[in-house]
Amino acid sequence: MTGALPGVAPMAVPPGAFLVVGTLLFAIGLAGALLKRNALLIFLSIELMMNAVNLLFLTYARMRGDLAGQMIVFFVIAVAAAEAAVGLAIFVALFRAHRTVDVDKIALLKW
Amino acid sequence: MNQLWLIPVLPLAGFLVNGLVALVASSSRAEKESGADQPGAPLPYAQRLFHGLVGVGSVGLATVLAFAAVVPYVLGSMHNAEGLAPVVQRVYTWMAAGDYSVDVAFRLDALSALMLSFVTFVGTLIHLYSVGYMQKEEGYGRYFSYLNLFMFAMLTLVLADNLPLLFVGWEGVGLCSYLLIGYYYDKDFAVAAGKKAFIANRVGDLGMVLGIFGVFALFGTADFSFVELAKRQVFAGGAPLGVYAVCLLLFLGACGKSAQGPLYVWLPDAMAGPTPVSALIHAATMVTAGVYLVARCSALFVLSPDALTLVAWIGAGTAIFAATIGLAQNDIKKVLAYSTVSQLGYMFLACGVGAFSAGIFHVFTHAFFKACLFLGSGSVIMSMHHEQDMRQMGGLAARIPQTFRTMLVTTLAIAGIFPLAGFFSKDAVLGATAASGHWALYAVGLLTAGLTAFYMFRLVSMTFFGKARGHAEHAHESPATMTVPLWILAALSVVAGFVGVPAALGGSDRIGRFLEASVAHPEIHEMSHGLEIGLMLLSLGVAVTGLAWAWRWYGKADGPAEAVSPQAHAFYEKTGALGRLVGNKWNVDEGIEALVLSPFRKIGTFLWRGFDALFIDGIANASAFLVELAGDLLRFFTTGHVRNYALTFALGIAVLIVYVWVR
Amino acid sequence: MPALNGQLVVFGFASFLALAFALLMVVQKTPVRSVLSLVVTFFGLSVLAILLAAPFIAALQIFVYAGAILVLFLFVIMLLNLKEEAADKDDRPVQRTLGLLVALALGGLLAGATLRAPVPPRGAPTGTPIPLPDEIPALGRLLFSDYLLAFEVLSLLLLVAAVGALLLSKRRFE
Repeated sequence: MTGALPGVAPMAVPPGAFLVVGTLLFAIGLAGALLKRNALLIFLSIELMMNAVNLLFLTYARMRGDLAGQMIVFFVIAVAAAEAAVGLAIFVALFRAHRTVDVDKIALLKW
Repeated sequence: MNQLWLIPVLPLAGFLVNGLVALVASSSRAEKESGADQPGAPLPYAQRLFHGLVGVGSVGLATVLAFAAVVPYVLGSMHNAEGLAPVVQRVYTWMAAGDYSVDVAFRLDALSALMLSFVTFVGTLIHLYSVGYMQKEEGYGRYFSYLNLFMFAMLTLVLADNLPLLFVGWEGVGLCSYLLIGYYYDKDFAVAAGKKAFIANRVGDLGMVLGIFGVFALFGTADFSFVELAKRQVFAGGAPLGVYAVCLLLFLGACGKSAQGPLYVWLPDAMAGPTPVSALIHAATMVTAGVYLVARCSALFVLSPDALTLVAWIGAGTAIFAATIGLAQNDIKKVLAYSTVSQLGYMFLACGVGAFSAGIFHVFTHAFFKACLFLGSGSVIMSMHHEQDMRQMGGLAARIPQTFRTMLVTTLAIAGIFPLAGFFSKDAVLGATAASGHWALYAVGLLTAGLTAFYMFRLVSMTFFGKARGHAEHAHESPATMTVPLWILAALSVVAGFVGVPAALGGSDRIGRFLEASVAHPEIHEMSHGLEIGLMLLSLGVAVTGLAWAWRWYGKADGPAEAVSPQAHAFYEKTGALGRLVGNKWNVDEGIEALVLSPFRKIGTFLWRGFDALFIDGIANASAFLVELAGDLLRFFTTGHVRNYALTFALGIAVLIVYVWVR
Repeated sequence: MPALNGQLVVFGFASFLALAFALLMVVQKTPVRSVLSLVVTFFGLSVLAILLAAPFIAALQIFVYAGAILVLFLFVIMLLNLKEEAADKDDRPVQRTLGLLVALALGGLLAGATLRAPVPPRGAPTGTPIPLPDEIPALGRLLFSDYLLAFEVLSLLLLVAAVGALLLSKRRFE
């Protein structure tokens, strides 16, 4: 899977390996999001999933020799920062109201 | 050149100003009163002055403008054998589709000039009269704003250069008619009468709209230039409707507006509105719109002799039918209403025998004397403290002399006594009928003339002559704002006929020649002047007979209120079933109820109970039940635990990936 | 080719670090330790980014993610004084097992799908080719030309997020 584009050095590591690492990280993040009970840690796992996707973007960008992939990662990181600020503020508010951030104890989305 | 668009726009401005001020004033009044005073109190003087000034002023100004446009036009056409070409002023393109566009365009030609002159003039007088008549009423500002709106719509109708714009005015006058009939909206009968008028007009308007479509299909245009095409018989190809059908549809529209045929029933009930409204809308102007429409489309109608014959027969039939009902009415306004229906029948009779200019001539003279009669009856009613039953009147001649004199003159005019206006226009109609060779129609018309003279003089006699009954002894003459219009209209009822003195009497039928430029004038068999004068004497004789008969029965009537005239009562008793039938207005309302409305109501009830309640509602309820059931089931999946949702979400993605992969 | 082998070694080490500490993050009971494990994972990821010729992103990864976001997490966890998950008596065994299964299945599926997916065409890149020695200036130029609107919107988003966070943490719930 190596091939030289003009101006792009050949890849020493097969890109497939990056892809596998990315998807595995994504799966681990998903497992964390599904298994954790602490809302903060669920959020953390989701951050991990986003990073896994970022890795895939970077890999494809490298494979295609195209800067657009990196650009997307840039925006993802910036949006993640905004999201983290708001999300954590929500958790703080949640904690104030319920004295816990255990999602099993906060079943508000119920009929 | 005069700006024609200003003429309708001025009353519109008056409507807006009056309406807004009345709205604001009444809401602030309602706040102040908060139920302490009775709400029926008349407005303060300053406010009435304002509404009156705006109302009369805007229409008066429009009248000045109208005459500034009409007078030069009429003078100009007098010096021109062919008549002047119509003046068309396009204001703005209303809608454009392909290579055809409908403009807001106004047209001044002989026909609209004539209509314009008397609509604005009579309109102004009636506005002036209303200042006095309505002074004790609560909704003074509302009244004037409606009346101004009516003037706007009527002037649009008269001045429109195409059928769609005419239809705007047509519907506008219908709306104002509805609003003003229902002016006393706290009275059930007024509300019901308004609705009746509106719905009866809808029946006609359906025909009117289809007729407009038909004209467009026939000629490819709805501008009045189609008249020229009709004259040359140039049709757009592939017209799906025949000329006959289009004429019938347009005539149906005219019937609705002008209260002809079975659609007349709304007009007598429309008397629930204030009397000046009856005079303006339901006598002088709006109801003649149908005649105007037929005259405007006369070039089309002459292409279909069958349609014209139908028009003539419906007109003549309505004329005599309404006249017979008028014989036995005791409500002063109802008599005048049936008289209006009857006179409108005359106008259609004239149109039907091809004498469109005679029909319009009658519209012209009728506007003056019928408006005066209605205003006079309003003056009587007001002096009688809102008593409308003639059986409670009598002997008013000495107490309200000005009203009496004007009404007597106009009664003679409508009866067709030489040389008042009604004589010339009615004889133009009857003469044209005779000339066309329809002797049966002529006989009907002649009989109607006699009946007209009878019931009109009966009205005058019961009201002004004989012994005072009821509260008639305490009647007072009306203020000058009311009597001055009466005198002006009475004077015009005397002289208006001289514009159409026929050749047989040494005149030159100026109005007929003036209108020739606008309306069709099919070949009319010339009668010898001798025969014509003979027929005139005959109709004059019939009219005098009617008058004399009414005088004999009612002139010195001193009976009690139940049977004012013993002779008439005895005659009524003798006629038996027929008399009762006439007294009951031929049971037309009941017949329509039984034959049309009741079946419709039954169908409606069936659709409501059987179809709507069971079937439609059943479907709706069943679907609602299913949704509820599904909701009850799905509720178990709503645990409220975020992790469950996330799990389902992930599961869904997994399934989606498998699906994409397997596919 | 010793240089290539060296890259391979670095890749192996970095990806092992990332994966192992990611797992640790999930398994950890103490929130603070979870966050710290993730820091290590992010370091590994930034090394991988360097291998993928994205040094700028690698730096961002360290600065923004490890430096800002995760510190924010730590700060909140300490602020709320979150201890271990209460002796972890997870009373939802179904959720637990199913969650694990779904995560595994989805991971496998995604890995398979990405590996089997056709290699993106390399002949004609649609965007800007990576000018390897100095890609950062190119990235900057791109950001302020083609992506200018997105960039400006992003700045607005960050502002809104800051205001929103302020509002949320100030409001008292009754």
